[in-house]
Amino acid sequence: MDRFVYLTFDGLSRGAVYAAFALALVLIWRAARIVNFAQGAMAVAAVYVAYSVTDATGSYWLGFVAAIVFGLLLGVAVEKTVMRFVDHSSPLNGVVVALGLVLIVQGVLGILFGNEYRPIETPFRRDAFEVGGIALLSRYDVFVFAAVGAVVVALTLLFTRTAVGLRMRAAAFAPDVSRLLGVPVGGMLTLGWALAAAVGSLAGMLVVPTELGLHPTAMDVVFVSAFTAAVVGGLDSPIGAVTGGLVVGLLLSYVSGYLGATVAPMAVLFLLVAVLLGRPGGLFSHSKARLA
Amino acid sequence: MSTENTAHELALDHMTVRFGGLTALDDVSLRVPSGRIVGVIGPNGAGKTTLFNVICGFVTPAAGEITLDGRAWRPRPHQLNRLGIARTLQGVGQFGGLTVLENVQVGARGHRSKGEKASRERQSEKDALEALDKCGVADYAHRLPGALPYATRKRVELARALASRPRILMLDEPAGGLDPEEIRWLAELIKGAGTTVLLVEHHMDLVMSVCDEILVLDFGKPIALGTPAEISADDKVTEAYLGAAA
Repeated sequence: MDRFVYLTFDGLSRGAVYAAFALALVLIWRAARIVNFAQGAMAVAAVYVAYSVTDATGSYWLGFVAAIVFGLLLGVAVEKTVMRFVDHSSPLNGVVVALGLVLIVQGVLGILFGNEYRPIETPFRRDAFEVGGIALLSRYDVFVFAAVGAVVVALTLLFTRTAVGLRMRAAAFAPDVSRLLGVPVGGMLTLGWALAAAVGSLAGMLVVPTELGLHPTAMDVVFVSAFTAAVVGGLDSPIGAVTGGLVVGLLLSYVSGYLGATVAPMAVLFLLVAVLLGRPGGLFSHSKARLA
Repeated sequence: MSTENTAHELALDHMTVRFGGLTALDDVSLRVPSGRIVGVIGPNGAGKTTLFNVICGFVTPAAGEITLDGRAWRPRPHQLNRLGIARTLQGVGQFGGLTVLENVQVGARGHRSKGEKASRERQSEKDALEALDKCGVADYAHRLPGALPYATRKRVELARALASRPRILMLDEPAGGLDPEEIRWLAELIKGAGTTVLLVEHHMDLVMSVCDEILVLDFGKPIALGTPAEISADDKVTEAYLGAAA
């Protein structure tokens, strides 16, 4: 039982990061109908920026802020210089361009920083509090929950309570109609990419220090889990992404806890295949069919 | 003194649009004076919607000039809202995943009268609700448009155009699919809108009852321009609609 409780908390903490990363994928999917396979590489680039800034200034938090700001700018740059010109006649085009971007980003990071693993610090201790003899959460886990929770609340408020958020949603649904209503559709798309890349960078900042270590391909594994989380949630639904992230986190934690860590990656792929076969629209897809 | 030109809020001069070999608009000129209701009619394929698309900047003309308030103007879709021009779409073009209120709010710019401190979001919500109320569909504010009957969605479409408080309202077949009672309601709304109206419509009774002036297009060519009385007495118009007399 103790083990189960521990694994549950551990799973939720990992899941929160996948949730944030899946949320970044959903943001871009909603705005541009592209699955951004370069999200992981972009996030790693932001973590390298944080690493450099922290190295130079000695402040974790300056590095943290630098990573988020860099993420925003990278999102703008990627949308304005590359993704804007992708031909949408086939959904594969966006995927191929994103994969190309992965190779470029990882190559450039390798040239600049070398291909070895670098340890990266966490701002809070990672040893867990014990409650009644069971190790539950570390300070770092609490920080992860707080950061992801803040992002979810902020995005929810942005999309449901502000004119900008409403316009972003409208632009994603019907670009031409939105233009007629005065929505600068191109600008909304750029903003969507910027926000998504910033959220992705945050997820990278949260997850890289835990078990991965900093490396140009550090986020590849996370990408698979987060992509599964987004698909479980239906790709179109922010709530689905968060739920999917927690589900994947728990699954990974239970499987590696009870069956061994080597089985965990297969469990994620199994879930991905099962969802795509059984409910390709995701677990939250009940109203989707009618919209099409 | 010539007030002739400045009195025209919107004017099209010698407008020609070609799609490949097809001439969709052929030397069409139209003047829309401020506050007037101007109708554009013609058989299917006459170029009515193309005319709207030119004014909205969706289609670039091969020749001709558009002036807004007497100044040469090159329309761009996303600037229309700011310039006070609102257009409804043929059929319904609502965002399926947004509620009716949100749909209408996208176009509401949140005009603040002096001294009002309400946020832009609040004000645009107020404008949107007012517009929905004016169109008699305020009860559906929090529903998704996809689940509503067609006629209700047409009203939502109108509300969305009105919510930006436009000075020029462009209506593309607003009566399509409506029953006679709804069309009477629509006629009252158009007459009472207090804006300049440009109306593309097939429903003759509506056009004849609300328009101050009517332009008739046939295969992209302007064949008549005049008051409803003049148009209904025009032989060329009858011919275009009913075919040449045998």
